[in-house]
Amino acid sequence: MDFIDYYKLLELDKSATKSDIKKAYRRLARKYHPDLNPNDKEAQARFQQINEAHEVLSDPEKRKKYDEYGKDWKHADQFEEARKQQAASGGFGGGFGGRAQSGQSYSYSGNFEDDTFSDFFEQMFGGRARAEGAHRGGRFKGQDFNAELQLRLSEIYESRKHTITVNGKNIRLTIPAGVENGQTIKIKGHGGAGVQGGPNGDLYITFNILNDTSFRREKEHLYSTEEISLSTAALGGEIQVRTFDGEVKLKVKPGTQNDSRVKLKGKGFPKYKKENQFGDLYINYKVKVPENLTDRQKELFQELKKTGI
Amino acid sequence: MKNEDLIPAEEICMHYEVERQFVSSLYESGIIEIITIQETEYIHCDHLANLERMMRLHQDLDISLEGLEAINHLLEKIGELQKENMGLKNRLNLYE
Repeated sequence: MDFIDYYKLLELDKSATKSDIKKAYRRLARKYHPDLNPNDKEAQARFQQINEAHEVLSDPEKRKKYDEYGKDWKHADQFEEARKQQAASGGFGGGFGGRAQSGQSYSYSGNFEDDTFSDFFEQMFGGRARAEGAHRGGRFKGQDFNAELQLRLSEIYESRKHTITVNGKNIRLTIPAGVENGQTIKIKGHGGAGVQGGPNGDLYITFNILNDTSFRREKEHLYSTEEISLSTAALGGEIQVRTFDGEVKLKVKPGTQNDSRVKLKGKGFPKYKKENQFGDLYINYKVKVPENLTDRQKELFQELKKTGI
Repeated sequence: MKNEDLIPAEEICMHYEVERQFVSSLYESGIIEIITIQETEYIHCDHLANLERMMRLHQDLDISLEGLEAINHLLEKIGELQKENMGLKNRLNLYE
């Protein structure tokens, strides 16, 4: 339980009037308000402290108690002892709730989950004050977090579980097959903790997909290039082509032209969130003109030439 | 756009206890979008978080509409820069 000098926090001296406190709070709240400092945990923590300081100093009764005990913090041991004795006989009167002997704090607010107020505040003013504070101050939705997840194209051909770490918390999530590069998904309630009873923020994950394959992807369709020999292009034949999930045999029609394209239906990429539905694979043929012909091959080409080819 | 994603502006004003004029002003400033269907004005649920943020800033910090416009613009810029920064850090990780 660290002593928090609320006056120092609000940059005030002890003689500050109610109006000074209000002005100081406003000034600092504008600087550290969580909405003005997205994804800044430090600012959020500072804002909570400022809120807490304002909560105490703007209430004459609480301020009086704070001035009495907070000032002489070096006598904390005596204070602790007195608190324990009082707790055993039913707790302090007034605003002091204290802790039960089991070590659990009293709670007056069922949905007040986050640790908005410091231990110092809780010790000084007890669970009741904490709950009152929660109700009096504004309820904030927690910060929305933004994260980027880099995946390889080969990793998103099938739905897979991934564990990501956001602000020190491990989150296990299933990335559906076929997510798009640049696509953002929202995971509700996995952002920053809500302030003063507000709901948790959301986590937004943007996917950065790196292509580690020889395929070009456009949404659910894939594109690739296959070389075929001049004779296969002219006479037709059967070749082996690569698809995302292995090789398949493909018949090449006689008279296939360079740069012509064939479509392999359903051999493309999985459609996002549509189970067992796939795009198509488009294959571009590149007819390879032979180099370094043997004498025999040259002879045969000469023969062909004579036929008008 | 699905209709269930649209929340009547009137309902939002009642729920958050804000004046209808405030929501209209945010719309006129381009901070939020309002969709009108058969003379009823709706706000898409995706824009709700921004509306809530603007309401908090207005109520907690007494920020005027002009101030909210400036803040909204700067927050958008911060968001873009944070995203870009994160992307660059991730790329850098590949070489470390």
